Amino acid sequence: MSEPLLKVKNLKTYFTSRHSQVKAVDGVDFVVGKGRVLGIVGESGSGKSMTSLSIMGLVPGPQGKIVEGEILLEDMDLVKLSDKQMENVRGNLVSMIFQEPMTALNPVLTIGEQISEMLIKHRSMRKSEAMAKAIEMLRSVGFARAEQIVKEYPHQLSGGMRQRAMIAMAMSCEPKLLIADEPTTALDVTIQAQVLELMKDLRDRTGTSVVLITHDLGVIAEMADDMIVMYGGQVVESGTADDVFEVTLHPYTKALLASIPVIDEERDRLYAIPGTVPSAANFPVGCRFADRCSLVETRCRETMPELQEVRTGHWVRCHLVTK
Amino acid sequence: MATYIIRRLLGLIPTLFVITVIGFLMMHAMPGNAFEALVFNPKIKNGAALYHRLLAQNGLDQSLPVQYIHWIGNILQGNFGISYNYQQPVSQLIGTYLPNTLLLAVTAEILILIISIPIGLYQARKVNGPFDVSFSFIAVLLYSIPGFVFALFLLFIFSFSLGWLPSQGTISASGANAGSFLDHLQHLLLPALALALPSLAGYTRLTRGYTLQIIVADFVRTAKAKGLGSKRIMFRHIFRNAIIPLVTQFGFDIGGLFGGAILIEQIFTWPGMGELSLNATLNRDYPLILATTLLFAVMVLIGNLIADILLAASDPRIRLN
Ligand SMILES: Nc1ncnc2c1ncn2[C@@H]1O[C@H](COP(=O)(O)OP(=O)(O)OP(=O)(O)O)[C@@H](O)[C@H]1O
Ligand SMILES: [Mg+2]
Repeated sequence: MSEPLLKVKNLKTYFTSRHSQVKAVDGVDFVVGKGRVLGIVGESGSGKSMTSLSIMGLVPGPQGKIVEGEILLEDMDLVKLSDKQMENVRGNLVSMIFQEPMTALNPVLTIGEQISEMLIKHRSMRKSEAMAKAIEMLRSVGFARAEQIVKEYPHQLSGGMRQRAMIAMAMSCEPKLLIADEPTTALDVTIQAQVLELMKDLRDRTGTSVVLITHDLGVIAEMADDMIVMYGGQVVESGTADDVFEVTLHPYTKALLASIPVIDEERDRLYAIPGTVPSAANFPVGCRFADRCSLVETRCRETMPELQEVRTGHWVRCHLVTK
Repeated sequence: MATYIIRRLLGLIPTLFVITVIGFLMMHAMPGNAFEALVFNPKIKNGAALYHRLLAQNGLDQSLPVQYIHWIGNILQGNFGISYNYQQPVSQLIGTYLPNTLLLAVTAEILILIISIPIGLYQARKVNGPFDVSFSFIAVLLYSIPGFVFALFLLFIFSFSLGWLPSQGTISASGANAGSFLDHLQHLLLPALALALPSLAGYTRLTRGYTLQIIVADFVRTAKAKGLGSKRIMFRHIFRNAIIPLVTQFGFDIGGLFGGAILIEQIFTWPGMGELSLNATLNRDYPLILATTLLFAVMVLIGNLIADILLAASDPRIRLN
């Protein structure tokens, strides 16, 4: 594995209100290597978005808060930075793109204005310089008529074009890390492939590390060098994507893989994991997957398994899997 | 944009036509006319003959459609007729009184905007904080009190009790600074405030509400993710969007403010359109009634037009479609 860029250690992000404590992220560890693509998969509510918003320092307050842990970007702990210092990290060292390209851009500002304001802030460019750079960025994500696009408003672009414009914006300050939270979920399949291809291509050209969040294991297989599987605010399995796909260890990951529809196989019906994700406000004491696991034993319900390195670089949180 | 405005202006013509017909019919539905009193005046000999002569002179003996066509024909030539009561050309009367009302209404509009928008923004920014909670209470209070009650309160406090500001007219009749800019301003302040206060409360609520809606929008999260400063996010991203419904509402309210001025003008003996239209109606001064009604209608329509123009100017989704 390459040199690490981002190290997340024992990250806990909770939502605390008078009546409840929602453990959205509950002790997450992972590393993103320089120039690597890390895929994060997991069911809805497993804490993928909150993990990425924690890195950005954008956990919705005042209830939501990072209560423990470190987020080390190279040697800087982002958790300890002030609001003002985080402004210089966001968009500059770490950028993020979101799921909904339809609503993620400001409807009353032109694409050019929205890209250039970042360059003006982080690169202290003059307006004209920033606009020229915006055109260049748009061209690099495949807009042929970039000179016109900078003058257009988001509603004049299609969903796929908007997401490409978002990517151009996110990449404009040459960040060290790009976080993409389900960047293609809202797009047509053909457009999805184009956008993913573009991200891969940008990574190859610029060496930016990528954290790619998705529901779709197919996307991970296509894109990711490394992957983590999240369940109930925790990492249940992590390793290189090849290792996790070839030697799948955690029962949850196995179940996820089994639930992917396979076209050339005659199956009566789709396999779905029985049961539902436990509520983040009320996790059981033992393994969080225990209630849905076909291999469950008594100890699974009594003690929480630790995340263990069972093969080199391949970590699993399960009592039943050992070295 | 220019063609859009011209198209909209032409679109107003049918509406105005309908308004004049309705206004004309309602006016004639009122009992009595300007000259009927003469018949019963014991000091006038042969009142009935004079009455009929005056009716004929002013064309009132003809059928309503003929009268209407006659009136509209004159208007199209820029002739609004002569007021029975003031014995002056209607256009000249409006020329004297309209500027006073415009001054009052525009000052009230400016007060509304410069006071309510900052307050509403600040409330949204510190939502549920002490200022927000207390001002929300005050706003509901202000909003539920009619403008003329404010007028009386303001008069009582600032004119009669404290003696700081004059209670009537547009300028002082005598004194060292009579007719100076300051004198004008002092006379303007209380009526404009009385006119502005109820809407002002409403606009702080609107500003606060729209801002809170936008604060949670996805594109605001994007703006934060770009590392922009909180001031830039507030004004360039949040406020710039929140202002769209606000300016639209503002345009629609222009006509209403104009109407609201009638009552306030009476209280402050402000020589504006309120006085003119009220006198016209009481005296059955037909040419003046028709002209003032038309003017009020035009003000409402201009307000709506301004609303549309502001909407198009502030929202590219409208402008480019
Ligand atoms: N504002 C909030 N207040 C309280 N709880 C929240 C809030 N936002 C998220 N959560 C909780 O945090 C947990 C993790 O949410 P998160 O959005 O990270 O899930 P996710 O893995 O991104 O899911 P999805 O695939 O649906 O996007 C969930 O249980 C969710 O209910
Ligand atoms: Mg999510």
